[in-house]
Amino acid sequence: MKRFTWLASIVVILAVLLSACGGPAEKIVIRVGTGDAGEGLKPHEEIIALFEADNPDIDVQLEAVAGDYYARLLTQASAGDAPDIIMVGDDAVPEFVGKGVFLDLAPFLKGKYPLDTAVYLPGLLDPGQWDGKQWLLPKDYSPLGVYYNKKIFDQYGVAYPKDGWTWDDLLKTAQDLTKDTDGDGKTDLWGIQLTANWTTGFEYYVAAAGGSLISEDGKTFVGYMDSPETIAAVQWLADLYNKHKVAPPPADLTGWAGGNPEFENGKAAMRLFGRWPQSGLKTNPNVDLALAAVPAGKVRANVLFWGGFGVYAKSKNPEEAWRFLRFYAGEPGSQVWKNWALPAVASVAASGTTNDPIDGVWLKELDHLVPRAYVFTPYWGQTANPALAKALETVLIDPAADVAVVMQTAAQEAQTALDELLKQ
Amino acid sequence: MTPPSPWQSQSIRQRTGRALGVIAALAVAVLFLLPLFWMVTSSLKPDYQVLESPPRWLPHPIVWSNYPEALTYVPFGRYALNTLFIAVLVILGHVLSCTLVAYGFARFRAPGKGFLFLVLLATMMLPYPVTMVPLYIVFSRIGWVNSFWPLIVPAFLGNPFYIFLLRQFFLTLPPDLEDAARVDGASTLQTIWHVILPASRPAMATVAIFSFQAVWNDFLPPLIYLHDQTKYTISLGLSFFRSTYDVKWGYLMAASLVTMLPVVLLFFFAQRLFIQGITLTGMKEG
Amino acid sequence: MAVPSPKTESLRSPQALPPRARTGSFARHETVTFYLLIAPWLLGLLLLVLGPMLASLGISFTKWDLLSPARFIGLDNYERLFTRDPLFWQSLKVTAVYTIFYVPIELAGALLLAMLMNQKIRGVSVFRTIYYLPSVLPAVAFIVVWIWVLHPDVGLINTLLSYIGVEGPRWLANPDWALPALLMMSLWGLGRGMVIYLASLQGIPKHLYEAAAIDGANGWQCFRKITLPLLTPTIFFNLVLSIISTFQTFTSAFVATNGGPLDSTLFYVLYLYRQAFQYFNMGYASALAWVLFVIILVLTLIIVRTSDRWVYYEGERR
Repeated sequence: MKRFTWLASIVVILAVLLSACGGPAEKIVIRVGTGDAGEGLKPHEEIIALFEADNPDIDVQLEAVAGDYYARLLTQASAGDAPDIIMVGDDAVPEFVGKGVFLDLAPFLKGKYPLDTAVYLPGLLDPGQWDGKQWLLPKDYSPLGVYYNKKIFDQYGVAYPKDGWTWDDLLKTAQDLTKDTDGDGKTDLWGIQLTANWTTGFEYYVAAAGGSLISEDGKTFVGYMDSPETIAAVQWLADLYNKHKVAPPPADLTGWAGGNPEFENGKAAMRLFGRWPQSGLKTNPNVDLALAAVPAGKVRANVLFWGGFGVYAKSKNPEEAWRFLRFYAGEPGSQVWKNWALPAVASVAASGTTNDPIDGVWLKELDHLVPRAYVFTPYWGQTANPALAKALETVLIDPAADVAVVMQTAAQEAQTALDELLKQ
Repeated sequence: MTPPSPWQSQSIRQRTGRALGVIAALAVAVLFLLPLFWMVTSSLKPDYQVLESPPRWLPHPIVWSNYPEALTYVPFGRYALNTLFIAVLVILGHVLSCTLVAYGFARFRAPGKGFLFLVLLATMMLPYPVTMVPLYIVFSRIGWVNSFWPLIVPAFLGNPFYIFLLRQFFLTLPPDLEDAARVDGASTLQTIWHVILPASRPAMATVAIFSFQAVWNDFLPPLIYLHDQTKYTISLGLSFFRSTYDVKWGYLMAASLVTMLPVVLLFFFAQRLFIQGITLTGMKEG
Repeated sequence: MAVPSPKTESLRSPQALPPRARTGSFARHETVTFYLLIAPWLLGLLLLVLGPMLASLGISFTKWDLLSPARFIGLDNYERLFTRDPLFWQSLKVTAVYTIFYVPIELAGALLLAMLMNQKIRGVSVFRTIYYLPSVLPAVAFIVVWIWVLHPDVGLINTLLSYIGVEGPRWLANPDWALPALLMMSLWGLGRGMVIYLASLQGIPKHLYEAAAIDGANGWQCFRKITLPLLTPTIFFNLVLSIISTFQTFTSAFVATNGGPLDSTLFYVLYLYRQAFQYFNMGYASALAWVLFVIILVLTLIIVRTSDRWVYYEGERR
């Protein structure tokens, strides 16, 4: 027994010594928290290396985590322990800003280390704004677009999508490319792969139909979520799946828009999505990748997905944190980013991205953005989002569902939830 | 000629039983292995082939590079060492603390014991997401965040699962040997060390294996307590292969298979601890 | 030699100790030893467990978004939970249905596997490892593999079904099949329960079986009269733990279905997690947690109280 106690004590002492190792910090350590996975880390690491070379008095510690990012962020923030630079997605901005997590960037933008916000491409600063102030700067972004596989188009002699094409053009093209090639009664080639019950992507359909999901004052869903335009948008989406059958049925309804492999396998001619899978698609031998703008419905519109960085209100080193943010979100960081994603700084984009046959299309979409629904109420995520997701699931699963009724139910549900929250 | 013993007359029944057992074992093994087989083949495919239709059973081309690339995508070697460090200490903590506590519950009478046993069970009934935040605040106040301590120290303070497991096991041990030890003047601790532990090899092996595996795969606590990426564990490393719009299938499968090996090997070789050569009751009965 | 029969022993009934009389000082000594032995756990309880548990109870009476100070709102969360939240009932239903199916299957299935693996077959250690292998996988990998297995178009199950001309359902994309699909998926992890049973099976003294064989008992009788009674402590353990953990199922639903489609796999803890970390409603989530706590506690109490009727401990003193 004695031997055991000795052994245990030695192990514990060793453990204490090992973990206490490390001398006093000479540099200021800035913690950067982000929810990027894998590939998304490389640009961060490059930018950090460049920044540390330029600023030897600062040590930047990247704290990336994929999956459960918000659980971690909120837990740390509840103890006042969040990183100095925090990333949040666009729809989380109102909540986090509203609860005082970020510092107003105005004094920094005009302070000792200024940044001219005019350097950005149109629409990229807006998601980082709230209540008239700038809180976050862009990290990365993507609008929606329609990928198409030139191999398939060439094989069946169908013309590529043209600039300014409409929903009717999309339907016709998709129908021309939906085929049962081996005569077994099952579709082998699909016209277009869509995003099922992905609610944020769905906002494009509503915008293009000329509708909106919520009133401008952010208090009413009834009359908007079930307006004739919105119903038309849902009907259009549902018909593509159930009536015209040009879209492969969803492989999963998690609402994260993944799961369907048809486009990747060369079994779907088009795919409506954002820029995220682009690098994989470019190296995929089944696909000769090209990109078209989203078609216009009644209206030519698109929506933006965006992530940004801000400075933690409780940071102990806000000035150093700002220096990093300025580097990252400014021209130097953008130069690195342009190899991985769309750059946010206009001059960087002009030096190559604009002329790229694919990336150039993404950039042009920035001229047609409409505000996302969450901008109108911070309670979007808790009220309308689940109701909308369920409505979309319903019309997709049940082809016989009455779309108008489904949307009215959704609007009511969202409204009840919102009224409840506004009362408190 | 001696009459046939009861053993020989049962041999045909035994042999048929055994043959059926083998067939059943094989059938279940095949079912269990099929998804694993897909993991292996997917780990050797380029990502765009993983969800092919019709499914391709054998990868072609074989992308061996998935393995070295996956393991260096993020520093898995470092993460494995971190996880190993935590695991060894946690196993130690569990074996030490849970044995003591379980023995107390199994063998001793005291006022409040029944109630405390229910409290023990009750501590497992509140979902982690709601205790995680206050607990984090506690650790933050004592300055233990961004270190391994919150992941290690609780193991030395008992774990309800293993306490319960060991208590059940200890209750099945006939008290004869302990009584004999007490008659010989052994203290409680000595009884535990000399009598209980040797008799509990299967249970201790279970505690060790499960503890190791639990630490190896633990996700939420390392997620919130480890800020500095150099301190990350394997499960955090694996999470990098999955982002909202994209799964790096090949890398995820390759890395999962490789990082799974230590636990599998531990289990495979620790099995001999399950197989007891001697029965417990050294005393005659009846 | 007679085969031992189950005795009835309550968890809390007095145990007379042979051959010593229970004098005052001995009883005190026993009490002190007990508390000394459980001291590590008590310490942990007071420092790291009770505090957060009680804190979460307190939080359940507030509205807290984790970022601004909590606001006391009394029983509002509970009132909303019981009267105005259809998703509370839905998630409870999903979880209860899943648990009712999963627990017996796991208990029996793991036992069957363990008995299968308790035989002296050549290479049995390889088999055991194969069965335990899936339980060793990190949750994410395990679930991602099954997302493929269950994939409605390219997955293993539907492909195998197509070989025999059957068109499989759309599994995780179908509200009627998603929950059964998750059930199937979790069966891949039976190896864990098997290991626990195995450890216990190995602890049953061989001479009992030998004696029974001499008396002419067949396999089924051996099982019913020797194996099963001596396994009851382990069955009790597995039953209680299975209920406690199955009611808290989270990761599989979170990764594979996100609660859908149409909330058919909205597990209770998934709903709770969503309220806490996606809706900024930690107060409400804590209320949900405590309601679940009470439910699990009541069920466990019932099992524990009735356990003395069927659990047999060889080592309990008379």
